Amino acid sequence: MSEVALLQLIGLIVVGLGVLILLFLKSMFIRVVGFVVIVLGTFSLIALGVPQMASLPPAVETFDLAKVKTPDDLAAIGQKIFFSKGQCALCHSIGPSASARCPDLKGIGAKLTKEFIYESLTQPQAYIYLDFRHEGVPKEYPARMPYISRNPIALTKQEIYSVISFLQKMSGEPISVKMEEVLDQKPDNLKVASVNISSHGLAHQKAVPGSDLIVHE
Amino acid sequence: MNRQIQQENGWSAFFHGKGRSILQWAVFIAFLVFPYFAFAGGAATEAMSVEYRDIPGIGSRNLIWVIAQQHLLLAGFVLGVPIFAWVCEIVGWKTKEPRYDKLAKEFTKLLTSAYATTALFGGILLFMLVGLYPKLMAYLSDVFFPSFVVYCVLFLLETATLYLYWYGWDAMQGNKKTFHLFLGLLLNVFAFFIMIVPNSWATFQASPVVVAEGTAIQRAWAATWNPTWWPINVHRLIANVVLGGFICGAYAGVRYLLAPSQEEREHYDWMGYVGNFIGVFGMLALPFAGYWLMREIYQYNQQMGITLMGGFLAWLFILQAMLIGVLFLGANYYFWLGINYRIPGVEQSYKKPIMTMLVVLLLALAVWMTPHSLVASLEEARKMGGAHHPLLGVFGVMSAKMTVANLMILVTFMSFIMYWRAGKQETATWAKVAKVLMGSALVLAGVAIIALGVYGYFVPALYRINVLSVSQVLIVVFILVTFTPLTAVLLKSAKTTHEMVWGKMPIRAGYSLVLNAVMVILLMSLMGYARSSSRVHWHIYGVMRDTSDYAYSPALGYAAAFMSLNTFLFCLLVSFIFYVATMGDKGKGHTKEGPRESSVKIPVGVEPAMAGGSASASERIH
Repeated sequence: MSEVALLQLIGLIVVGLGVLILLFLKSMFIRVVGFVVIVLGTFSLIALGVPQMASLPPAVETFDLAKVKTPDDLAAIGQKIFFSKGQCALCHSIGPSASARCPDLKGIGAKLTKEFIYESLTQPQAYIYLDFRHEGVPKEYPARMPYISRNPIALTKQEIYSVISFLQKMSGEPISVKMEEVLDQKPDNLKVASVNISSHGLAHQKAVPGSDLIVHE
Repeated sequence: MNRQIQQENGWSAFFHGKGRSILQWAVFIAFLVFPYFAFAGGAATEAMSVEYRDIPGIGSRNLIWVIAQQHLLLAGFVLGVPIFAWVCEIVGWKTKEPRYDKLAKEFTKLLTSAYATTALFGGILLFMLVGLYPKLMAYLSDVFFPSFVVYCVLFLLETATLYLYWYGWDAMQGNKKTFHLFLGLLLNVFAFFIMIVPNSWATFQASPVVVAEGTAIQRAWAATWNPTWWPINVHRLIANVVLGGFICGAYAGVRYLLAPSQEEREHYDWMGYVGNFIGVFGMLALPFAGYWLMREIYQYNQQMGITLMGGFLAWLFILQAMLIGVLFLGANYYFWLGINYRIPGVEQSYKKPIMTMLVVLLLALAVWMTPHSLVASLEEARKMGGAHHPLLGVFGVMSAKMTVANLMILVTFMSFIMYWRAGKQETATWAKVAKVLMGSALVLAGVAIIALGVYGYFVPALYRINVLSVSQVLIVVFILVTFTPLTAVLLKSAKTTHEMVWGKMPIRAGYSLVLNAVMVILLMSLMGYARSSSRVHWHIYGVMRDTSDYAYSPALGYAAAFMSLNTFLFCLLVSFIFYVATMGDKGKGHTKEGPRESSVKIPVGVEPAMAGGSASASERIH
């Protein structure tokens, strides 16, 4: 018997007990107990009727460099990370979504350079996206892209490159991530080239170093 | 009164006397010596390498869950009751009506009885956390040790003040009443700080602020003032009042059902009304505080926010909607029963408004409970064109839910206004104009709330959250803060057309009060689970990962079964505590000849000031 079935059985027994109390016992306090038992049993049964989803910790996966032979291998690993450890799919959609608060990533590999995507993941505040549809004076409650290279997500450099490869492949672009970049264990000093704002319709503001000020460009 | 307390024997004396002192000193000493044992070197070094311990069978996580939940529910009760007990005492002092003072004292008796048990569970929780989660507790102690000391001092101050407040009640009458009221104020101030200090430990786990440099006090202060600390403080402050009110209401409901005499029925009928009134009014403000908390969570970390409302915890909020809906229905139902049974003769004139309100509430509840993604088979999903129903899916988003939540608050408030005005006729010359204005404002408010909700479908999410939802809330707040004083002024000169009678409510009124309390307790358990689960596999989000065997969040059904168990255990616990606390009353209240007169007499036809009793009614008594 599955756990859900067992709990449903227990819930039914509990509710049944409450009904029996109300039907056959006269003591007012015990009848109140029976009433409470029915309410709690009913609540449990309803909760057991909705989709049951447990939240498991992400599996600890090691990035096996020996298995990466081609850029497509990298993209396959990147796809896995996108939907699991990276938690990208929690906020981003691939395809239009009217209620989304985060950019639609369909075709993003063609719109943005590898360097820009890397910086967006590791230093999202370098070019600040306060609201990806917003243009103008910064808003008080901006949407914030988390630092993917830090806790709680903490993707490694190799994992980030593999996600970028996936985004590029998904967008129909050739994968520009080089194997030397993936194999290089040194910290990255990637610099972002200037980006054409109109190509993706995003407003850019630049952070003033060492302060919380945001300067509109 | 002191001599009477000393004559109590058995469990009652234990809870009121020496036993409590021993318990509280034990907890205090445990707090002081724990850091010594935590940081002592030598043999402790090996112990420090142990990250987790387990309890066979139940499991360490489940054990902590049960103990922590009992402690939190009891703490919510003992921190919420002093607020309205003190206010009730002030009302009694100002109006010179002794029944309010006696009611305040009865509230305080319940609180005092539960206080020792709260401390007991707090001590047990501390020992279990230290023993079962040494890695986590060592880290938290390192960050928060200065606040542990503050907490111990506050605990002593609170206990001393409560002793004086409770035991000195009868002695501090007359000229000393103001001093007693001052003690009540102090009690609430200490209670507030006792709540917010451990709130910082819990909120730090969800939204940590870790400062590497600085003194111990600076680091503790930075960790205390984390992003979700104040939203939780406000939310819990209001929720404690709601919990305390509804539990006192349930206590009165059960006592009403068990009352052997008409005098006791009248008294507990009135007490039940007051408890429900306190719970309802706190409940009106609670969604706003919860909304602020949710916004701060999103602000701190979008992923945590989306996990809560769009991820694996999304269905939890459907359960929350269901519980809140039942609570709103139960609270309103109690008001409507009051109109029908306490004010005989007015039932027919309120039948249509009550029916309208019931329909609005049921529709609002249905919308609130509608999920965005339906449970559907592949075939059904193909027919629908996706996981969202083409029609009902429209109601599954926040724009619809914020709208109906605000409407439910408005309807509940109007139930109270209706109850307040029932059986009275306004005599002020401007009464007609005032009623027309109020009616128009109510209709306009409802239309505006719905219009803003519909508009919310066509604007970006951030605009809806920051502008439209806030506007809806402000409209409701405007109605609340204008209608209340306006109605009070209108009723000041009103004449009573139908007298209010107490002690005539049907049995289902008592059950309704019990249901409301159970719903609130379940809600606290549910939302506490939501807050803990939003951290997913982290002890301290993004800082300390949970590497134990229990680093997962169970499915909702399993969690709900645990919540139901916790709720049942808590109900049994408070029933036992209240039974013990009132054993002395039963001894005094009954003789061989029959029940004595209740110490609180409510004259027929008098409405308590909280229900807006008219001045003319008060004049008739005196």
